[in-house]
Amino acid sequence: MTATEDTAFLETLRSYVGRTGAPQTARDPVNSATIRNWCDAMRFDGEALETAAPDDKGRAPPAMLAVWTMPGAIPREFDPDCPRGKVFMLLQQAGFASMIGVNTEEEYFRPLEIGELLTGTLSLLDVSEQKSTALGVGYFVTTLTEFKNQKGERVGTWKFRTFNFKPRQPTEEELAKKKQRQEQQAKIPKHLLVRPRPAMMKETAFFWEGAQAGELRIQQCRGCQRLAHPPVVRCPACGSYDLGYRVASGKATLYSFVEPVHPPMPFMRYPYVVGVVELEEGTRLITNIVHCAPELVRIGMPLELVSQQTDPGLKLPMFRPAAPSVNRQTRRFEEVQTGEELPLRPIDVTTRRIVAGAIATRDFEDIHHEAAAARRAGLPDLFMNILTTNGLCTRYVQAWAGPQASVTGINIRLGAPNVAGDTMTLSGVVESRTALEHRGQVVVRLSGRNDLGDHVTGTVTVELPLGGRS
Amino acid sequence: MAMSFSGKTAIVGIGATDFSKCSGRSTLRLAVEACEAAIRDAGVTPDMIDGMVTYTVDDNHEIDVCRSLGVDRLTHFSRIHHSGGAACGTIHQAAMAVASGAATYCLVYRAFNERSETRFGVGVQERAPLPTPMEVDFSWSSPFGLLTPASWVAMFAQRYMHEYGATTEDFGRVAVACRRHAANNPAAFFYKQPITLEDHQNSRWIVKPLRLLDCCQESDGGQAMVVTTLERARDLTGKPAVIRAAVQGSCDDQQMMKSYYRKSITGIPEMGLCAEQVYAESGLSAADIDAAVLYDHFTPLVLPQLEEFGFCKRGEAKDFIRDGAIEIGGRLPINTHGGQIGEAYLHGMNGIAEGVRLVRGQSWNQPKKLDNVLVTAASAVPTSALILSRDY
Repeated sequence: MTATEDTAFLETLRSYVGRTGAPQTARDPVNSATIRNWCDAMRFDGEALETAAPDDKGRAPPAMLAVWTMPGAIPREFDPDCPRGKVFMLLQQAGFASMIGVNTEEEYFRPLEIGELLTGTLSLLDVSEQKSTALGVGYFVTTLTEFKNQKGERVGTWKFRTFNFKPRQPTEEELAKKKQRQEQQAKIPKHLLVRPRPAMMKETAFFWEGAQAGELRIQQCRGCQRLAHPPVVRCPACGSYDLGYRVASGKATLYSFVEPVHPPMPFMRYPYVVGVVELEEGTRLITNIVHCAPELVRIGMPLELVSQQTDPGLKLPMFRPAAPSVNRQTRRFEEVQTGEELPLRPIDVTTRRIVAGAIATRDFEDIHHEAAAARRAGLPDLFMNILTTNGLCTRYVQAWAGPQASVTGINIRLGAPNVAGDTMTLSGVVESRTALEHRGQVVVRLSGRNDLGDHVTGTVTVELPLGGRS
Repeated sequence: MAMSFSGKTAIVGIGATDFSKCSGRSTLRLAVEACEAAIRDAGVTPDMIDGMVTYTVDDNHEIDVCRSLGVDRLTHFSRIHHSGGAACGTIHQAAMAVASGAATYCLVYRAFNERSETRFGVGVQERAPLPTPMEVDFSWSSPFGLLTPASWVAMFAQRYMHEYGATTEDFGRVAVACRRHAANNPAAFFYKQPITLEDHQNSRWIVKPLRLLDCCQESDGGQAMVVTTLERARDLTGKPAVIRAAVQGSCDDQQMMKSYYRKSITGIPEMGLCAEQVYAESGLSAADIDAAVLYDHFTPLVLPQLEEFGFCKRGEAKDFIRDGAIEIGGRLPINTHGGQIGEAYLHGMNGIAEGVRLVRGQSWNQPKKLDNVLVTAASAVPTSALILSRDY
């Protein structure tokens, strides 16, 4: 397109800004079965069923706002008035056929009660000028959906921004660099493409056999029960040569750590952290700290064992941030300090989590339940839908804040996809706190990092009660 | 426990090659050149040498060195293990040999092309997983990507920072002091190249929390010394450096650079054991030490050495060094040759030579008063230490 054509195209797109689509009414009112499905899907691994359950008044978790008016598995009839549909069609026809969700911002005016019937009305807020990003050239399209109940009361809003683009072709320079990288990679001797293999003696084989079995074993004297790591061949305490082992609980705290940078090791993926952890049993171990951004690693942090297959034939016992327990007592506004760090929470992105999350948020896009469809979209496996990410982010803050805290908003930016098999670790820090009438508002800045980078960054706003514990 | 040879032996000759990044000659040639220079400096002749001590990790066989030097008869030869921890241990061994009569003039040497041929800094990832205790030992760390000396030391540094509130700037002050001293030493690789704390803070990461300027150099070169009894030394022309104390130390749950399993890892117990012995043996205390050559493969472990040898309290080295105490003119100038950070990495052997120069009054950064100098070998391994004194 020429510059003039570009301008004309943008004008056409922007002619839909401010227009509103037909109101979409939910097929069912807010109901306990859908709430329960959502709560089950968003439950953290190992979390007690009670804390993951709907609240005692049976109200819907706020982050379910957009769920009720989703079309479900039966495609909705095409809305000829929908300005987003129009704009998307025009973009597709012009070759901007790829699309990703980039920002989502929700405001929850109040929790939804069972029986409320929601209607969502979408309007087109903005179409950006043509932008060039790492993904390609395209347009950011922002829509706003306003939700009302059957009485016409406004209950919340959802602002959603997509990037509709033509995938960027790699430049010659990039292709040359890629080729050079491949050539360099080909020159590395094969044995340096995998981590150094452990050397074993008869007396240390138990440790590595345990590692292969996904266990962490600590040498234990059969005579006096003394533990030793690294293993000895004779118990220095009682003199016994009869040495066995015990299986570690997998609980540990971080004693010290380093982040190697140079020289680069071809068999390591950077960045990585090596830690010395103190096991609950008392011995220490050199290991890797995984599922945690290096800048969030802290001496003293609680850790849990996670067995990792690093290379074919090599499984190693590693540690990651221990999942924190869900707070059963509600924090008071006065207890919260700006700068306070929330405990890290690793979440395994399993197929089950992705599919359960997609269905519970009534998102039946095939990329979230059919691996072949995800591969057609250019990803190696299923990946998480946005409303599940939304749910997990709000639950993360809720689990820290306690059951009586109410989440009133979320504003997140989406990045690297959460692909099945990965682990996302949520972290957060209290960014601001504001006293309101009879309650206090706390904004938590959070990020969810996975192996590919930041899956999500943004804020969750939560309201806390004031004063002493009731 | 008094050592029978305290004050009875001395270093009477020192000799070194040039220190470079590429010597252009074999390690054997470097060893022989250094030995020849040391023999000449001592004012003796090769036929008088009858003892030889080096490191187990040295590639140059005593017998090969002898053939080129023209040393015909050896009545004592031994080697000390544990890499840089051997440094003062070689002098300890030579001193025992001459004190006992096992040898009369003992050569001590170390030579390598550590930069141009076999670099230690690149890591241990190429070692074969053989079922030997040494390889088994590497297996507790190597599969996790903890592969380089810098990374092994960084683990101690991180914990030290956590417990005592030290910062990477405190580590940087050690590098600044060493480079300041090297700047005055024409033999130093970094002659006339001092650095600022800002340079240190701007240098790139090697292993967080260690930066490039926290790491010593990698060098090619050779260093040798001649040890004999003080009685014989007094008949030679040169000024002897009296060995007031020479000791080795290894402690509970000792590991090679990875003694992370001890109750506390912020101190260096084997250095503490050396400190206890050198002071007992010499009858001196920290207050009597006028300068020190503290092993500086990596800056962070210089701090706990100051603590173990009693120059300050535990955890307070960061305060001790803050105002130039370890620089020339300060309470305890350290590494007046520039250390392994500034002069060259010779596995600690060049530091012993600097100890001798200090006693002789020949350092490029000579303190006004110098009666006793402390020299240490590598930290985080089984190690050794010396007190060298004027013949007062």
